[in-house]
Amino acid sequence: MASAELRQIRRRIRSVQSTMKITRAMELIATSRIAKAQLRVAEAKPYTAKMTDVIRNIAAAGGLSHPLLESRDMRTPGVMVVTSDRGLAGGYNSNVMRLAERVLNDHRAAGFRPRLFVIGAKAQSYFSYRGYEIEEAFLGVTDTPTYGDARAIANVLLDDYEQEKMDTVEVYTTRFVSALTQTPVLWPLLPIEPPEASAETEIAGYTFEPGPEEILGRLLPRYLEGTIFGILLEASASEHAARRRAMKAATENAEELTRALTREANAARQAEITTEISEIVGGAEALSGG
Amino acid sequence: MGKPFNVDVVTPEAVIWQGEADFVAARTTEGEIGILADHEPTMGALSAGAVVVNATDGSTITVGVNGGFLQVFHNQVTLLTDRAELTEGGKEEALRLAEQLGSEEDNGGAE
Repeated sequence: MASAELRQIRRRIRSVQSTMKITRAMELIATSRIAKAQLRVAEAKPYTAKMTDVIRNIAAAGGLSHPLLESRDMRTPGVMVVTSDRGLAGGYNSNVMRLAERVLNDHRAAGFRPRLFVIGAKAQSYFSYRGYEIEEAFLGVTDTPTYGDARAIANVLLDDYEQEKMDTVEVYTTRFVSALTQTPVLWPLLPIEPPEASAETEIAGYTFEPGPEEILGRLLPRYLEGTIFGILLEASASEHAARRRAMKAATENAEELTRALTREANAARQAEITTEISEIVGGAEALSGG
Repeated sequence: MGKPFNVDVVTPEAVIWQGEADFVAARTTEGEIGILADHEPTMGALSAGAVVVNATDGSTITVGVNGGFLQVFHNQVTLLTDRAELTEGGKEEALRLAEQLGSEEDNGGAE
């Protein structure tokens, strides 16, 4: 019967519209959070920039030797993947995980046994489902990263690195290029790449209190924490931006679907009325004819 | 009033104080250090404690820091610290805050 079809279409319209309410709400939430996340990225920049400055100055003073700066023979590579805890963010998670998985496979093909660290529940389930061994998973971090989170992660990585359980650490994360573009990237974390000394610093002739070596020893772990904090903040901004875009697309799709379904419903209603009229006319004719 | 110079107090979360000052007192791992304008280029590791900044507007800013670094270069003083707390309660209050920052760290500041 035609009215059953009409009822079904109306039910679908209602369901699409209630989904649309959710996606629109998520879009709005993500939009409001991008700005805040972006601000935090900007606010964290001076700290790491100044730290780089200090390292540069120590380099100019002649001594940059520290275990964290020296590259060793690679026996075990370390890989860290930064994803979100929740989905509904378009290609955000899958892009960076695919990049990391390719590298993990390359490492394995070369005969290494990479140590895998993951940030975010998405990477945890992705890699454990595919049979990768995860050393440690950090969850509940990426939504709004704190400096304490960065420090906890840095400590775990530093411990393993210092005990020579791994000889490099590469981070796979997402860079926030703009609100429209976020690109998955490889970020070499350890050993720390010493920044180049600039001409300005060499002239300065600093006094060090305590000596440059000792300052460097205190500074490098902080520098690592600061770098990880920056990575987390940028990943978080990217996550919100990716979610906003995905939810905007979903809302638009829902709108379009509602329009198409409404048209279908109207056609079904018309058909129903036409059938009804022809039935009545047919019935009346049969009566008068009889 | 001495010649003024710039002071920045920078943490990973934000630049928490920025302004002109004519005197800064801090404690490095080697001992107390006082900075006036035209101080020689210096780099120091701070120990946990209070840093006192005499701003040119007459106010005194005390920063409780939990370690960190100090850089003096051409009348630009930069304090880099992962945790700092500004206070107007004077040095005692700052020391108390610094201690508090330190102890927060010991019991799960890293969560």
